[in-house]
Amino acid sequence: MNDSLPRAAGQGLAGCHTCGKVAAVTLGRCPRCGSHLHLRKPNSIQRTLALMAAAALLYIPANVLPIMTVVELGDVTENTIISGMMTFWRQGAYPIAIVIFTASILIPLLKIIALSWLCLAASGKLNPSPNMLGKIYWFTELLGRWSMVDIFVVGILVALVQLGNYMTITPGPGALAFAGVVVLTMFAALSFDPRLLWDRLEILGIDPSPLKKADP
Amino acid sequence: MHPWPKPLGGPHRSVCHFCDTLHVAEPLPEGTAARCVCCGAVLYQNRPASLVRVTAFSTTSLILMVVVHSFPFLVMDAASIRTTLNLSSAAGALIHRGSPILGVVLALLTIVTPLSVAGGMIYVCGPLLFGRTAPGAVHVAKWLNKTEPWNMIEVFLLAVLVSLLKLSKVADVHFGMGFWAFGLLMFCMAAAVAGIDRNELWDRLEVAKS
Ligand SMILES: [Zn+2]
Ligand SMILES: [Zn+2]
Repeated sequence: MNDSLPRAAGQGLAGCHTCGKVAAVTLGRCPRCGSHLHLRKPNSIQRTLALMAAAALLYIPANVLPIMTVVELGDVTENTIISGMMTFWRQGAYPIAIVIFTASILIPLLKIIALSWLCLAASGKLNPSPNMLGKIYWFTELLGRWSMVDIFVVGILVALVQLGNYMTITPGPGALAFAGVVVLTMFAALSFDPRLLWDRLEILGIDPSPLKKADP
Repeated sequence: MHPWPKPLGGPHRSVCHFCDTLHVAEPLPEGTAARCVCCGAVLYQNRPASLVRVTAFSTTSLILMVVVHSFPFLVMDAASIRTTLNLSSAAGALIHRGSPILGVVLALLTIVTPLSVAGGMIYVCGPLLFGRTAPGAVHVAKWLNKTEPWNMIEVFLLAVLVSLLKLSKVADVHFGMGFWAFGLLMFCMAAAVAGIDRNELWDRLEVAKS
């Protein structure tokens, strides 16, 4: 057995992103499903960083602007994501306050930091530890979608609370900005190519596989 | 049911989408998964009775969608007004009350995507049960791949729970039939999506086409 495991790119082979077929990259298109074949996703780091930058910019209005406006007996209250969470906290509904804090504040922020960090590691500005980075990538891909929960809550409340003079709720501009953050970070995670992290290791000459040592 | 067939020709190989390590794709016993020797990521899995399961769960999902759309999720009594919420009314309310873009996004994530994923699965996997392919099945299968991450019904379910807690201070709110059907729908959609490995689906498509 060889010292290092064979990597597809080294043999001019590409695994199709869509159907998983392994084919020579010189074919240009997958012989099975017709998708474009690439050794690596094109401009992965630039694209991911651009999407992350846009998401980070939108994150500010998403948290500062109201996500909904409540009019109760003539009193107007502007609700932001943070004030919604604080209300639950003050009422003693700690589990739900923590869920909202995690989904709406922590996950988008962690995702922006994690993906920027992955981009830095993949472009050689940081020393990567691939297994931990791999776990971070998997984590950001899995959890990002849950950030949408507050936007759905706004939709539900706007639909339900239309009680004339007593109480009405309308959506605010922060909700649109926040939806933008979630969608942009999801696209950013999709455009990042984790194989670039292992490419970096290969360049540095580090043995990437902890599992291989257990094998005879 | 027929086991996972391999297309003619070879060698059959599999590349880890995570670290790009090249493997020989050995056939697997049902119910087991092949993992990358380098990073440990799952390469492919052989699901038992995959086509039957996907078709059955997707069909059940479509039926449940009809139930979900015909019954309310939440029923609220406040200020002597009874308001009901169903799946499409949340998106509709956003469209009519000042945030049409958000309404369309919500409709895409909770109505259009689940419908197209379930419908697409039936369209691709149903004929494959009989070793055939429907016209354009390859394009539908590609489309399934792209839309699947945008299916957010489980997130909507959490949002219904959060809304219930938010409103319980100001009104008398309780669950409707639609909520329970939606819970079942979430389970069926998850089972349908996880029911077949991407590699198996495409191997079966390739064999059936040839
Ligand atoms: Zn392909
Ligand atoms: Zn791997």
